[in-house]
Amino acid sequence: MTNNIKETFNKIHAEEELKIKTKTFLIRKTDNYKKRRFYFKYQTIAIAACLLMFIMSAGGLKLYFTPTSVISIDINPSLELGVNMFDKIISVKGYNDDGNELSDLIDVKYTNYKYGLEQLINSQTIDQYLLNNGSLSITVAGTNQKQCNDILLNAKNCTSGHQNAYCHIADYSQIESAHQCGLSVGKYMAYLELKAIDSSITPEEISGMTMREIRERINSLSSDGAYYQNNYCNQSGHNHGNGHGRGHGH
Amino acid sequence: MRSEQEVNTAIERYSDTVKRLCMINLKNYADTEDIFQTVFLKYALSSVCFENHEHEKAWFIRVTINACRDLIKSFFRSRTVSIDEIINMPDNITPDNREILEAVLSLPAKYKDVVYLHYYEGYTAVQIGKILKKNANTVYTLLTRSKQMLKEKLGDIDYDQ
Repeated sequence: MTNNIKETFNKIHAEEELKIKTKTFLIRKTDNYKKRRFYFKYQTIAIAACLLMFIMSAGGLKLYFTPTSVISIDINPSLELGVNMFDKIISVKGYNDDGNELSDLIDVKYTNYKYGLEQLINSQTIDQYLLNNGSLSITVAGTNQKQCNDILLNAKNCTSGHQNAYCHIADYSQIESAHQCGLSVGKYMAYLELKAIDSSITPEEISGMTMREIRERINSLSSDGAYYQNNYCNQSGHNHGNGHGRGHGH
Repeated sequence: MRSEQEVNTAIERYSDTVKRLCMINLKNYADTEDIFQTVFLKYALSSVCFENHEHEKAWFIRVTINACRDLIKSFFRSRTVSIDEIINMPDNITPDNREILEAVLSLPAKYKDVVYLHYYEGYTAVQIGKILKKNANTVYTLLTRSKQMLKEKLGDIDYDQ
């Protein structure tokens, strides 16, 4: 049967007419065999554009969520704002219960740091501490010196109406050490200052103290008694300044 | 996309195979023409790299059978015609050839492809299984049954030759 079937099917051929028709059909359908190349060209461009957009958006996202400066606000609420290169607050972290409470109360994430600082400093919580002779410390640290100076200037303006408000720039390298101790960078700088004259002090103790208490302890132990006016600011090793009420001795 | 030369070579090389498969699966010449063109258009647009001619031929067989099945399943296609319209009978076909052809074409759809692939193209049951994505045992069964059916239709022919 194999032979018979073979013989039979051997006589079946695609007609020349069918082949020619098919060739014509293919030329028409493929736009003379150019269509696909045309598609390929634009497909490649589209894919490359998508890829570029993805890389750019991924890079942009990374850039957006990378803090270039840190603003440490300490009075008793102790919190840190991470600021990106676009001057946006991208992180808010409380370093004590009061700090957490304040950050929950006032949402400044993804706002401009100027607005965020204003909201926090003028909040009822901080206002109450300042009214009760609290000592407000705003410490700025970052990789971008110009941005740090701008933030410092802005912080000074924000605190200009408050007594006992101090603004400083700290060394960026201190941020990591501060976080390892579980302290905001502002409180950590105060800790270093106090530790220099009282080696028994621990980060845990500092964590539970208000800035006013730390300041009073430093003043009582130091011979010159000028915590913010001299020692603390010098410790930062950078441009530093303070708002009104500096060195009032509360 | 493949070049025109590549496609034309494939048309010369596989057009008979595609035509025969269309013929045994479809019921009119217009459908054969449609599927014939569809298969070669798929080839022209395909970027599949073939290891050798056998691989390429197996691709044509599979694509043609699938295209035929899709058309058969189509809701709009129900026209049936006589064998003369199907085949465009060649001039040199003998009465014996015609009898065999009619016997093969009258088999249920699932048997026709395996009969053609085994008896004409010379593929083994295992190879047919791979091409049609069927179990080899299923192919054996289909071949055995088709042999019985052809025997009933054609009478005393030596089926093992």
